Amino acid sequence: MNQPQPVNIIMIEDDEGHARLIEKNIRRAGISNDIQHFTDGTTALEYLYEAPDGPVHNGPALILLDLNLPDMSGANILSRLKADGNPLKRTPVVVLTTTDDKVEIQRCYDLGCNVYITKPVNYDSFADAIRQLGLFLSVIQVPDFPEE
Amino acid sequence: MRLTLKNVAVTEGWFNRLVIGAVALGFFVLLVAGVAAFQAVRDNQFHAQWVNHTFEVEHALADFDALMERAETGRRGFLLSGARNAALTFDESRRQLGPALRRLRYLTRDNSRQQANLATLTALAARDVSAMDISVAQVRAGHRDQAIRSFQATIPLKMMRKIRGQLDAMRAEESRLLTIRNQAQADTLHFFYGTVVIAGIILVMVAAGSIWVISRYTRDLTASRDELRLLNADLEGAVRERTTDLQRANDEIQRFAYIVSHDLRSPLVNVMGFTAELESAGKQLARMMDRVEQRAPDLVDKEAQLAIREDLPEAIGFIRTSTQKMDRLINAILRLSREGRRAITPEKLDMGALVQGIADTHRHRLDECEIDFSIVGRLPTITSDRLAVEQILGNIVDNAIKYMPPGRRGRIEIRGHSDGQRAIFEVADNGRGVDPKDHDRIFDLFRRSGAQDRPGEGIGLAHTRALAYRLGGTIVVESELGRGATFRISLPVAFIGEQGALI
Repeated sequence: MNQPQPVNIIMIEDDEGHARLIEKNIRRAGISNDIQHFTDGTTALEYLYEAPDGPVHNGPALILLDLNLPDMSGANILSRLKADGNPLKRTPVVVLTTTDDKVEIQRCYDLGCNVYITKPVNYDSFADAIRQLGLFLSVIQVPDFPEE
Repeated sequence: MRLTLKNVAVTEGWFNRLVIGAVALGFFVLLVAGVAAFQAVRDNQFHAQWVNHTFEVEHALADFDALMERAETGRRGFLLSGARNAALTFDESRRQLGPALRRLRYLTRDNSRQQANLATLTALAARDVSAMDISVAQVRAGHRDQAIRSFQATIPLKMMRKIRGQLDAMRAEESRLLTIRNQAQADTLHFFYGTVVIAGIILVMVAAGSIWVISRYTRDLTASRDELRLLNADLEGAVRERTTDLQRANDEIQRFAYIVSHDLRSPLVNVMGFTAELESAGKQLARMMDRVEQRAPDLVDKEAQLAIREDLPEAIGFIRTSTQKMDRLINAILRLSREGRRAITPEKLDMGALVQGIADTHRHRLDECEIDFSIVGRLPTITSDRLAVEQILGNIVDNAIKYMPPGRRGRIEIRGHSDGQRAIFEVADNGRGVDPKDHDRIFDLFRRSGAQDRPGEGIGLAHTRALAYRLGGTIVVESELGRGATFRISLPVAFIGEQGALI
């Protein structure tokens, strides 16, 4: 059996403030996993697929994805990640966005998103949600890469 | 109606007068022709009668002439031969002479000249006949020689010639009359033909004129009809184009509202998030201040204490309530824009059941505020979007409950009736009412009326109106302060397609 590998958290979020808040709350929840932050879709995808320390080549990851990115839509990234035959198909994706539009939430789940979190203005509930991610991370299944 | 065309302006009044005038003229001409024909036939008959009369007179003259000749022949034969036959011929002719004269007198009674001629003839004939009588009587008495002598003495040839002369004069007179009468008859015929020809010409002219006017009018009508049809087609096209434009503008505004509100929330998340961070930092500071106060009171600065204990929490509190309010407003815009993007699905709605459903949803609050809710009569059934109609009526009922002054026995009545292709629904309450100057304002986004003692952002009625517009309806309020309000919603009986509703 594999040794449990530490899960890398990959955050794709263009708003520095949001990224900082998310990171603070993750840390506050007692999660010390490594967090990689990208502010646009292109570099994030490059890292995901190409980087030697990226999830394709190196271990499990959790992706935090914002839907509004300057260069592409988050939904676009999501559909690519969750497409059949993609090496990252089983990588859990948490969508973090400002809208609570039911249609959009539904669409994200249809595309295969694992958790959808609305960035609320009511900060406390947001912090709670992020902290629950800690629980989520603790039960996360290591993707079954055929590696020895 | 006045149709102004490229070249001529045709008015129906002008056309009607012309056509009626032409038809009247035609009939008048026909009437004149008819009267003229009748008159001509009558004249003709009259003249024919007189021509006939002339022939009768001539015939009578000829009869008389023949009788005289026969009497003379009989007398001479009797004188020469003494034959009985000759005497009989004479007697017979002699007997008929009287009636023949009487007939002539009767026939010429209208003509004084012929009467005079006839008198002369009668005198001549009387002399001649009396001479004949004498001769015949002498022969009968056996004095034949004496009779021959007296015959020779009377010169009968001369007598006969005179009589013939007189008869010729009378015949001449009659033929003169015949010429005159024939002429008159011919004149009548000419007059008749003339009248007929003139009437015919006028009729043809009237007919041609009428046909020309009617054909021109018809051509104009056809042209204007074509023009109208073209215009109509253009209009439909223009309406379609305009509707598409409106739809596009509306879609764009909705997209704009969506994107703006979406993107506005993003910085707001930061403001709220970091305000929370500030707050927790403030709490840390406050705790530290407490410790410092306990352990080293001399280090405590009054101003720093005030800043940490009061200014900081106060500022954070204001930031928080403001951002929360802003968030609610942005959410309202988002909701409106989302509502505008929702597809309308018309279905047959039993409005009685629908309104009862709304009442049931609000049952708890209705009972709590002691408000009587009633549906008056039968509500008309419409075909429309269920959710939108529910939201429209629900919002208004919700407002009626919300603004019911405490301590008053509340009453909410829903009425409805059909008005042609529209269904009118009224929600009447006896609540605090709306100031007439705010009747339009309350339907604007974020605008409210009256005392601001109830929670709300001024979104409900704006949303309601946007929905009503989308369904092709309208909404108005009738109200006086303190006397309750009646919201009147007019919706098409059958949903007729998306209407441009700008949020």
